[in-house]
Amino acid sequence: MSDETAEVRIRPLQDTDLGDITGLDEKIAGEYRPDVWELRLGYYMRRDPDASLVAELDGAVVGFMLGEVRSGEFGLEEPTGWIEVMGVDPEVRGRSIGRRLAAAMLDYFRARGATTVRTLVDRDMEGIAQFFTALGFEPAGLTPFSKKLA
Amino acid sequence: MAIAKTHIPRKFHDAVLKWRDVFLPDYGFLMDNWDRHFPREPRFEACAYRELGICDEIECGDLKGRPKFTRAADLDPEQAGHLLGAIRAQASTEFGSIQQHRLTLARAQDEKDQVWILRMMAEELRHGYQMLHLLLDDDWSCVSDTSGEQMVEEILSMTTGSHVLGAFNIDFDSFVDNATFCALIDRVGKYQLEMQRISAYRPFAESMPPMLREEAFHLAAGVVPLRRWMERAALGSHYITSADIQKVINKWLPRGLEMFGDERGGGTNVRYGLKPMKNAEAQDLYYREVEKLVRDLNMRFVRARLPELKLREAEAVLDEVVAERKAVQGIRWEDLVHLPHKHFFRRRGVPAFELTGWEGEAFADVDLYLAHLSAHLPDAYRASSDFRDYGEKLREVAAGETTAAEAAREMPALRRVGGACPCSKSVRWVAGNGTAGGAAEGPAAV
Repeated sequence: MSDETAEVRIRPLQDTDLGDITGLDEKIAGEYRPDVWELRLGYYMRRDPDASLVAELDGAVVGFMLGEVRSGEFGLEEPTGWIEVMGVDPEVRGRSIGRRLAAAMLDYFRARGATTVRTLVDRDMEGIAQFFTALGFEPAGLTPFSKKLA
Repeated sequence: MAIAKTHIPRKFHDAVLKWRDVFLPDYGFLMDNWDRHFPREPRFEACAYRELGICDEIECGDLKGRPKFTRAADLDPEQAGHLLGAIRAQASTEFGSIQQHRLTLARAQDEKDQVWILRMMAEELRHGYQMLHLLLDDDWSCVSDTSGEQMVEEILSMTTGSHVLGAFNIDFDSFVDNATFCALIDRVGKYQLEMQRISAYRPFAESMPPMLREEAFHLAAGVVPLRRWMERAALGSHYITSADIQKVINKWLPRGLEMFGDERGGGTNVRYGLKPMKNAEAQDLYYREVEKLVRDLNMRFVRARLPELKLREAEAVLDEVVAERKAVQGIRWEDLVHLPHKHFFRRRGVPAFELTGWEGEAFADVDLYLAHLSAHLPDAYRASSDFRDYGEKLREVAAGETTAAEAAREMPALRRVGGACPCSKSVRWVAGNGTAGGAAEGPAAV
């Protein structure tokens, strides 16, 4: 159980957060996937170590948000902040951890010259869609298309 | 982010490439195979990068809020002297680590591990190049009689044994050294770069963000193999054991702690706006970060050995083994890796030449202490001149023939004995008993 008075600290992702993030994913998804997260974290840390963030509560990692500023994707030439992966410990939900992570990431994107922030949300994940809507995100004109190759 | 790319003048650029041909002979192999191993990443290039758009104002110290300096001549001479020392030491470490890694690069058991280290070596070369760029792009005559050309020549002439910082003068004995060095010593480098990114000297601050991005890969080049090895050790591998890893951690962690400089120092750098933290504060953060790394490695061991456990159960097993020092579900305390005490095997800083054991226990007898060290250090390292020199100095301190402070100062000193031709090998650095160069532990020693 979380202590309601404990302070939340947002800081840049470190390589030593891998174990904690793997653990959070296991709590959320029920699967131990250290290799998946090792690759993912390695990618974001090499691209921009300051962009991706973790949230600490009493020194324990309770949330993370991975993203970066890029230009040129899908013909979007302007610097765009992309929020790509996030997770919050189910035991501390309701403490605005995700909102604080997003606020810090958006501040960083702004400082990096991004004028827009984008993300993609699975239609079946209503909670995530509500989360971004509450942050002021709106459905964009881009529609994802996909096709199975197998 | 906007990045400016530049090159140093041709003759120095060519000198770096010549240096690369000598100390990084597998560079061609790396570039030939770059797309196979790093298909999503831009190809390596020997050049200097500067990140544009960084903070304009000095961020800490007496001059906080004033514009950052763009020329060394505008700094206070003492401030410029500290800065120059930091740049030279940084350059020395970048080139120095390549010389160390090459010794055992070929001994890697996995091609991926080997290529990652090779890429890291190339990027260290670029970091060294970046520092040479800073030395050549400004006029340092306000604080040094040595010209930029001479400084470059000196740095490119250094070899293992004559580098500014202790950790870069110790030979590697196995590929476990390559990985552990990246995980522990490059982690100190990350702290230094992170602190230097707020430097009051703008060209130095602008150099740090691109280096930090590359440094993240260097840490991974160490930590990723260590994780794999702990998993293999848990499954009874004959090729790597946690005891092997522990001994190499014991070899490097004390040197890493010392790279932050004397625990009592660092205030001058903060006052000058060159770094935001004093030495002890940064060292403590580093130690706690390594503690987290050690726990991560142990969790890998537990989860590989007991894959049926859920996260909480695995954490409980690890906590019980560590706290109770007893076997739990077949995992013993000795099967895991542990963080050596901060004062263990130290030869600089507050605990220099203390007889403090691996777990913080005090020794009263030098021979017993040396036997203790021998039991906790890699066999090959025990036979090295570095360990012998430490042991001899320890005896002198214990016998009252010298003080710990004097002994700490008597690292190999650097003395220029000849040669003036840029890019030649005509400069020699010799070990001596002076205090220049080797007296302080480099960039963090203020």
